[in-house]
Amino acid sequence: MKHMLRQVFRSGKFVTGFVIFMAIMLTVIIYPLLITDHPLSIIGQGTFFPPGIYVNVFDSVSSPAYTIMLDDAAAKRIAGRLNDEDREAIREWLVGAGVADGEIDIANTESLLGLWVNNYDSTANVAGMTNADRNYYIRLNKSLQVLLSTEGVTLAASNPETGALEETGTVEPTQYVNVREVANVRLLPLGTDNFGRDVLTELVSATAVSLRIGFVAGIIATFIGLVLGLVSGYMGGIVDDVISFITNLFIVIPGFVLLILISFSIGQERRGPFVIAVVIGLTSWVWTARAVRAQVISLRNRDHVNLSKLSGHSIVHIISRDILPYIASYVVMALILQISAGILAEAQLSVLGLGPRTTEEATLGLMMNWALIYQAHILGKWWAYFPVILVIALIAFSLNLMNTGMDQVFNPALRD
Amino acid sequence: MKGYRLYFGKKVIWFFVTLAVAFVLNFTLPRLMPGDPVAAIVSRMAQGMSNTSGVQAIYEQYTELFGTNKSIPEQFVLYVRNALRGDFGYSISQYPRTVADVLRSSIFWTLGLQLPAILVGWILGNALGALAAYRRGNFDRVLLPVSLFFSSLPAFGMAVILLVFFAVSLRWFPTSGGYGFDLIPNLSLTFIWSVIVHYQLPFWSLVIITIGGQAIGMRSMSIYELNADYVKYSRFMGIKDNKIVRYVFRNAMLPQITGLALALGTMVGGALVAEVIFSYPGLGSTILTAVLGQDYPLISATTLIITIMVLTANFGVELLYGFLDPRIKAAQAD
Amino acid sequence: MGEVILDVNELTTKYVTRFGDNIYAVDHVSLQVEEGKSLGIAGESGCGKSTLALSLMGYYFPPLHYTSGDIIINGRTITGMAPDDVRRTVLGNDIAYIPQAAMNALNPTQKVIRFIEDVFDAHKMHMSKKEVRETAEGFFQAVGLPEEVLNKYPVELSGGMKQRTVIAISVILSPQVLIADEPSSALDVTSQKMVIKMLRRLMDGGYIKSMIFITHELPLLYNVTDDIMVMYAGQIVEKGSSKEVVLTPLHPYSQGLMGSIMVPEAGLRDVKLLAIPGVPPNLKNPPSGCRFADRCKYVMPICRAQTIPLREVAGGRAYRCVLSPEELSEAHAREVYASHAK
Repeated sequence: MKHMLRQVFRSGKFVTGFVIFMAIMLTVIIYPLLITDHPLSIIGQGTFFPPGIYVNVFDSVSSPAYTIMLDDAAAKRIAGRLNDEDREAIREWLVGAGVADGEIDIANTESLLGLWVNNYDSTANVAGMTNADRNYYIRLNKSLQVLLSTEGVTLAASNPETGALEETGTVEPTQYVNVREVANVRLLPLGTDNFGRDVLTELVSATAVSLRIGFVAGIIATFIGLVLGLVSGYMGGIVDDVISFITNLFIVIPGFVLLILISFSIGQERRGPFVIAVVIGLTSWVWTARAVRAQVISLRNRDHVNLSKLSGHSIVHIISRDILPYIASYVVMALILQISAGILAEAQLSVLGLGPRTTEEATLGLMMNWALIYQAHILGKWWAYFPVILVIALIAFSLNLMNTGMDQVFNPALRD
Repeated sequence: MKGYRLYFGKKVIWFFVTLAVAFVLNFTLPRLMPGDPVAAIVSRMAQGMSNTSGVQAIYEQYTELFGTNKSIPEQFVLYVRNALRGDFGYSISQYPRTVADVLRSSIFWTLGLQLPAILVGWILGNALGALAAYRRGNFDRVLLPVSLFFSSLPAFGMAVILLVFFAVSLRWFPTSGGYGFDLIPNLSLTFIWSVIVHYQLPFWSLVIITIGGQAIGMRSMSIYELNADYVKYSRFMGIKDNKIVRYVFRNAMLPQITGLALALGTMVGGALVAEVIFSYPGLGSTILTAVLGQDYPLISATTLIITIMVLTANFGVELLYGFLDPRIKAAQAD
Repeated sequence: MGEVILDVNELTTKYVTRFGDNIYAVDHVSLQVEEGKSLGIAGESGCGKSTLALSLMGYYFPPLHYTSGDIIINGRTITGMAPDDVRRTVLGNDIAYIPQAAMNALNPTQKVIRFIEDVFDAHKMHMSKKEVRETAEGFFQAVGLPEEVLNKYPVELSGGMKQRTVIAISVILSPQVLIADEPSSALDVTSQKMVIKMLRRLMDGGYIKSMIFITHELPLLYNVTDDIMVMYAGQIVEKGSSKEVVLTPLHPYSQGLMGSIMVPEAGLRDVKLLAIPGVPPNLKNPPSGCRFADRCKYVMPICRAQTIPLREVAGGRAYRCVLSPEELSEAHAREVYASHAK
C-alpha cells in the first residue's frame, strides 16, 4: 500500500492533478473562514458590476485630502472618460469640418483634444449631420469642458433648518485620498452577478456545494457499481446473467436522458442539491459495475482465491481479503472519474433548468444557468460565467490527470 | 457468412430489447413519483399557462391519453400504441401545437448537428491519438494534457467560450439560432448560407470536445497494440515499419468503434446542453423550453426520441463493427 | 566439423530505461553455431536469454540498443549494416525468429495468407500471389498443416495450430539460423514434444541450416540440441556439449538449474529438487566479481573481489568460476548424495 502510494506520487501527472485539486479544496475550506459574508447576500443594486475595487464616494469626500501635482493627471482623466465611440465621433466631426483625415490620430488623446478645442464650433454646420448628432456634439463638448477645467467642484449640503444649500467645501482636481483612510472600500475581484451578489464569494461556496454533489454522486455510483460488479463477477451463473443484462442495458440507454426525466418528475419543490446528487449517483454506476465485474472474473480463478476457497473461508472473507485489495486501485480510479462526472452532470442539468432548486446555496451549474438566463455571455460580462467554466474544467482536469497518472502507474504499457 | 448472420441476429434482438426497456422506463419513471401524473400536469399548468380553455382541452386530452382510470398494463399498452403512432398529445407550453409537431421541427437540427460533429470529432481525435502514440516524444507530451484539458471542459463551456470569442468579440459568426431570425426556412441561397454560418460554432464546439476524449482513448489503444507480440514478430520477419503501423492502427481503431457506440449516450447528453447555449433550434433547446414551460408531455416525448436516436445509432455502429472485425465472425462460429 | 554459420563475438547490447539508465542484458557473449547443429540456451527468466535472442537478430529498436561486438552469418558481418538492409536481406533470410508468445504472434485481424504475402513483399521477392500461395502451401505441408489455414484468421485456429503456423511462416524464406525463444513453454507436454519434433524435422529436411533453442528448462535441451550454453545475469556461465552440461554441470548455477527439476534419465532419476534460493541480480548495478556470488553455496571472499573470466576446458567446454572442474564436480556429487540420503 505504502509502496503503491509512493509510486503514484512519483507520477508527474498525478501530482499535478493532485496539487490543483487540493488547491481548490483548500480554497473552498479556508475562504469562508476569512470572508464570513453569506455567499448569496445581495449587495449590489443593479446587475453585473465589473471586477475591481469599489471606493465609497461619500467617505472619500470626508477623508483627509492630499494635494499631489501630477502632470499627466488631466490627460489621464480625459483619456479615461473618452471612450472609443466618442473618439470616433470626434474624428467624424473633424473630417466633416475640413480637417485632413491624416492629421487625426484618435489614439493620441492630447493631439485629438487639441484639434477639437481649436476647431469645434457648435454653430458650424457639418454636412450630413442630423439634429440629434448636433446635440450629441454639444453634450460631448460640455463634458470635455468640465474635464478640462482646472476649477474644482463645489460641495454643498442642505441645511436641515433652512433647507438651503450651503457650501461645505470644494474638491480640487489635484486632490487625492488615501484608499486606506477611506472607511468603506470593497474589493470585488470578480464583480457582481445578475442579482448583485459578490461573484467570488458565491463561486467559492458554489464550488463547495458542487464538490459535495460530486462526492455524494460518486460514492453512491461507485458503491452500487462495486457491489453489483463483485456479486455478478464472483457468483457467476444466473445472478451474473441478470446483472450483466441490466448493466448492458443502462450502458446503451443514455443516463443523462434518464437524469432529465427523473429530475423533471421529482418536481421543483423536492429538488435539493442532495436529491440531485443521489439521482446522479443512481444513474451513473454502470461503467463501474461492468469494469469491476471484468476484473473480478479474471481474479476469481487465481490460485490465492482458490486456496482461500479450499480453506473454507466465507464469501465475505474471500471478497474482502482476496479480491478487494487487488481491485482497490481500480475502484479508486473509478471513484475519481465518477466525482468529476457527477459535477459535470449537475452543471449540465442546471443549464437545462433542471438543477437543484434552492435559495440558500448556489452550485456551479446554477451560477452558469443564471449567467446564461441574464445573457452575461452576450453582454460581455465574462466575470459571471468564465470563472465558473474555469472552475468546472479545473476540477475535471485535475481529477482526470490524477486518474491518468494512476493508470500509467498501474498499467506499465501506457508509460511514457 | 453464417457467423455474420448470427451476429446481426443477436444485435437486432438486442436492439428491440433495449427499445422495449426504453419505452418501459419512459412510461414508469414519471409514474414512480408520488401523485397522479395528470394531476401533476394540471397543477403545473396552473403555473405555466394562462389560457384556461387550452388548460381544459389538455386536461381532457391527457385523462384520455393516460387513461388514469384504467389499470397500469392497459395504460402501458395505450402509451406504446400512441407513441408508435407518433401521437404524444399536445404540448402544454406551445399549445395548440402537438408534441409531434414540435419534435418534427427540431429533430432535423439535432441530427444535422450532432451526427456530423461526433463523426468528425471521432475521426480527428483518432488520427491525433494515433499520431501521438506513434511519434511519442514532445508531440505526445503536449497533446495528452491538452486533450485531457479539452475533454475535461463541459460541452457547454466550450460552446460559451467559442461563442464569446468568435460571435461576441470578433463578430465573425452569429450568436444564436439555427438561421437568421428574419428568414423563413426555404431553399434559397441566402437561407442556406445563413444555416451554414449559424452551424459553425455549435459544430466546432462539439468537435473539439469529442476530439479530446477520442484522442486519449486512441493513444492508449495504439500504445497497447504497439506493444503487442505480433508487432515484434512482424518486425523480425522483416515487415516494413509503415506496414506494421497500418496493422496497429487498424487494430487499435476497432475498440474505438465499440467505444464510440458506448459513449454515444454521454456525448449526446453534453451536446444537447451545448445546443442550449446557441439557442440552436434542436432537441436540447426543446428540452429547455419544455422545462421552463413545465411541459411534461414534451419532456417525456423528447427524452424518448433521444433515447431511440441513441439506440439506433448504437445499433448502426455495432452492425458496422461486425463487418469490420473478422474476430466477430470467428467468435460466433464457435 | 561443419561450416560455421553463425559466429558471434563479444556481443554486448543494452536496454535504456525511461530514466536513462543503461542495463547491459547481454554482456560480451560469444558463440558459434555450425551447419546442421543446434545450440540450446538455458537460464532463469530475467537472465538475459530472451534478450540475447533479440540481440542476435541484428535489428534493434528501443529500448534495446546495440553496444559492441560482431554478428557474422555465413561470413557476412551484419552488425553495422544499415537497419533497412538488415530488415530486407537478413531478417527471415539469414536469421529467423519464433517468439516466446507464439499464440499472439499473428495479427488478429489479418488472414494468414495476407501476412505471408506481406513477408514476401517486404523482402522484394517479386512473386505473384499465386506463387506465394504455392510456396506457402509447400511449407504448411512440411509442418503438417492443412492448406485451409492460409485462408483463416488467427482467432479461428487452435493454440497448437497457431504455433505451427508461426513456425511455418518463420522458416518460409529458408533461413540459415532459426532462433526459437521458448516455443514450447505455453504448451502442454504433447504439444511441446510435437513442436520439438517439428523443429528437428525442419532441420533434417534442410528447411533451416542451424538452430538456437532457448528455454528455462535446462534438462529439456538434453534431447533437443547438440550444445548447451547457460546464461546468468547477461553473461555466459557455462557452455559445452549437451551431454556434458546436463550430466556433469560445472558451474554452481548450472548445477542448481539441473537440480531444479526431476530428470527422467537413468542414474539421475532419484535426484531431488535442489532449488536455487534468491533471484538474479539487478543489472542496473551488477555486483562486482562473480554475479552469482549472492546465491552460490560455495561462495568465498575471492569471488567478490575479482572479475571471473570464462575458463576454457578441453573440447570447447568453458565455465565461469574460480573453482576447478574437479572441485566443482566433487562438490556437486556431495550435494546430490546428501539430498539423496534424505
